[in-house]
Amino acid sequence: MTTKTTKQQADAALAPLAGLSRRKLLKAALWASAGTAAVVAGGFAWLRRSPLDDVAVPEGLKHLSASEYHLFHRAIEVLLPTDGTTLTPVEQIPVITNIDRFIGLVEPAIREELGIALALFDNAAVFSGLHGKRFVDLDDESARQYFDTWSAGNTLQRTLSSVVKKFVYLSYWRDPATWPPVQFDGAVSDRWGIPSLGNTPLPDESAEVTA
Amino acid sequence: MSRIDTVNAVPAQGLNLVQASDVTAGELTLRADAVVIGSGAGGAVAAYELARKGLDVLILEAGPYIPSSEFSEDFSDSLERLYQDHGGQTNKDGDLLLLQGRCVGGSTVVNACLAFRTPDFILEEWGEKFGLTNLSPEAMQPWFERVEKHLSIDANGEHEIAMHSQLVRAGARKLGWSVKPLKRNIRECALTGHCVSGCKTDRKQSMLVTYLPWAMAHGARLHSDTRVTRILESGGRAVGVKAEVVGHDGIKVADMHVDAGIVVLAAGAVQSPLLLLNSGLANGSGQVGKNFACHPSMYVAAKYPHEVFPWRGALLGVYVDEFLTPEKGGFILEAGGLGAVEMCLVNEPGTGKPFLQFMEEARFNSGIVTLIHDHNVGEIRWEKGRKVVDYKVADSDFPSMLAALKASAEIHFAAGAEKVFVPSIEKLEIHSVDEIDAVLARLENKPQRLRLVSYHPQGTLRMGADPASSVVAPHGETHDVKGLYVTDASLLPTSIIVNPQVTVYALASYISSEILKRTPS
Repeated sequence: MTTKTTKQQADAALAPLAGLSRRKLLKAALWASAGTAAVVAGGFAWLRRSPLDDVAVPEGLKHLSASEYHLFHRAIEVLLPTDGTTLTPVEQIPVITNIDRFIGLVEPAIREELGIALALFDNAAVFSGLHGKRFVDLDDESARQYFDTWSAGNTLQRTLSSVVKKFVYLSYWRDPATWPPVQFDGAVSDRWGIPSLGNTPLPDESAEVTA
Repeated sequence: MSRIDTVNAVPAQGLNLVQASDVTAGELTLRADAVVIGSGAGGAVAAYELARKGLDVLILEAGPYIPSSEFSEDFSDSLERLYQDHGGQTNKDGDLLLLQGRCVGGSTVVNACLAFRTPDFILEEWGEKFGLTNLSPEAMQPWFERVEKHLSIDANGEHEIAMHSQLVRAGARKLGWSVKPLKRNIRECALTGHCVSGCKTDRKQSMLVTYLPWAMAHGARLHSDTRVTRILESGGRAVGVKAEVVGHDGIKVADMHVDAGIVVLAAGAVQSPLLLLNSGLANGSGQVGKNFACHPSMYVAAKYPHEVFPWRGALLGVYVDEFLTPEKGGFILEAGGLGAVEMCLVNEPGTGKPFLQFMEEARFNSGIVTLIHDHNVGEIRWEKGRKVVDYKVADSDFPSMLAALKASAEIHFAAGAEKVFVPSIEKLEIHSVDEIDAVLARLENKPQRLRLVSYHPQGTLRMGADPASSVVAPHGETHDVKGLYVTDASLLPTSIIVNPQVTVYALASYISSEILKRTPS
C-alpha cells in the first residue's frame, strides 16, 4: 500500500533539528561525538568504508542519497523488527519510500543540515561506544544499544536518535494498514453514518444583554 | 460609518466566502468600517459583535477554507492541512511542538473543545499587577455567560467520560483530590475522539459553524488565503492593511489594499506580534513579541492491566484541579485519549521489540495531559526573515513540571496502572509509587529531555494600564495607535493555566463593546 507522505510529517520528524545550527552540527561532529583525542591524533577516518557503500540502492528513490538510504534501511530493521509480533509486517509497508518523500519535502537549508546530521549519526558509531564500525554495519544488538545510548546521551545525541526514530516510526504508523493489528479505529464518522449538524442557527439576539 | 441592517439567513452548511481561486484581478482594493485580521477565536467573535451592530466588517484569514465535510479524521493529514506550518511549528530548540490552527476558524477548529473561564485569582492578579481592574471576575461574568450560551458550553455528561477518563477520575478520587467533568463547547458529541483533526459532523461549536456564519449573516465578508503583510497607520491612527492573496500552490495571485478606520488584530499570539514588528507599529514599550508563555504540556501515558482504547469516546473527559492555584503547584491535569499515530511519538519505550510491544499494547494505555502556569519568559521575533519562537521552560517553572508529572503518576497507580511512561527522550518508566521520586530525579531542565507540546501560545502583546510596560490598553486598543485593537491570546499578561479559548471569546466580546462605544454611529 502506498500512502501520502505529507510535509507535516517531515516537519514533525525534523522538529528537533530546529535548534541545531549548521555551525553547531559541524562543531559537535568534530568535538562531541567523534572524540577530541581521535581528531588531535589525526587518526580519525571520518568516512570509514562500509561494505554497503558498494551496494546499489533501489530505483525510484528521489531524495535519499545512497548512504542515507543504507542508514534508514538499517534503522528500519533495527527499529521495526515485526517478525514474531502481531503487527503488520514491515516489508508490507513502504517505509523507505515514505521516508524518501519526507526528505523531498524538507526545506533546502534544513535538508543540508539533515544530511550532515545523518552522516554524523552513521559515522559516530566508529568511536561512540568503541564499535569501530559505522552504524549501518553494527549487528542488531549493538545497533539497538547505539540508539538507547544516544537517547540518554548529550543534547546532540538525543536529538539525532530522536530524529531518526521519528522518521521511521511516522513512516510506518501513518499507513492505515498498520492500524488493524492494534485495533485503532481510524476515521469513524462516515462508517458510523453520523450526520452533520451543520451551522448553528443565529442566537436569539433580542434577549441578550450587551454592555 | 456604513450601516448594514439586513440580517441574512445562516446557511445550513458551509460559508460563502472568497478564496484565492475566486480572485481574478491582480490588485484588489477594498473598503470596510473594520478589517479583522484572523478568523479564529478573537477575530470571529469581534467580527460578529461589530457586524451585528451594523458595521461593515471584512475578515482576512491567511489560512485556507476547509469545510468540515472534507475533514479526514486522520491526524497526520489534518496536521498537514489545518495547522500552522503543517504541524511543524516548534520553538528554537526544537523540543516544543507549538500547534496552532491555520485555516478558516483558526485554532477553534482543531482544539479539544475545552472551555474554562479564566480563574478568578488570575483576573485579580491582572488587576493588581497590570491595572486591569476592568477585567475583574465580576466585570467579566456577563461576557463569560454570553459566550457560554452562544457556544452550548456545558459539563460533560457521564456518557462523555470515556474509559481513559473514568480511570483518571477513579485514581484522583482514591487520592482524595478534586476532580471534575470538563466543560466543552459542543452539541450532541458523537464520541468519535477526533476533535484535534476537526469535527467532521459539526458538533464542536468552533468559529467555523458559529460566529463566522453569524457574522456573515450580518453582512461581514470573509476572504481566506489572504495574509496581511502590513498594518497601515497615518497620524497615529490605523487606516487599513496591505495583504497578499496566495493560492494553495504557494503562488501569489493578488495584492490587496484595504481602507478601514478600525483594525482588529487577531492572528494569534505568534503571528500578531510578527505582523506588528513587520509594520513597525505599537512598540513604544518595546514589549511587542516579548512575554511569551504557552502552557508547555506533556502526555503522561500509563499501561493498565485491561483494555482502555484511548482513542475511543470523547477525547477529554475530566480534569484534576487540586493543584490549580500557585500555592498548591499551579497546574491542572486533564484526562485524555490519543490515537495510534500520536502514541508512537509520546514517549520512549526502548528500541526494537520494546517499542513494538508498547504499540501492540497501545489499547491498554490511558493518559493525562499536564498544563502548568508557566512564566512569560519567551519571545517571538524575526531573525533573518524567519520567525523565531524563543522559549525554554524557565528553571523556576521546572518544579511545576515535575510536580505535575508526579501527580499524574500517582493518579495512574491509584487507578491500577501497571507502569507509567515518562514523556522523555530517553527511556524512563515508573513501576510503582515508591519509584516515582527516584525516576523523576533523573530529569533535568535541559533541551531535548522532555517531549513538550503546546496548543496555547499567549502573552506577546500584553494588556496593561501602563504604556511603558504593555502594548495594549485595558480597553483593547494599542497604546500607540488609535483604532488598532487586539482581541486574541496575545493580550493575556500572564499565563492562565487553563485552556484559553473562553478567555479569548470573552475578551473579544468585551473589547468589541469598547470599539462600538468609541465608534461614531
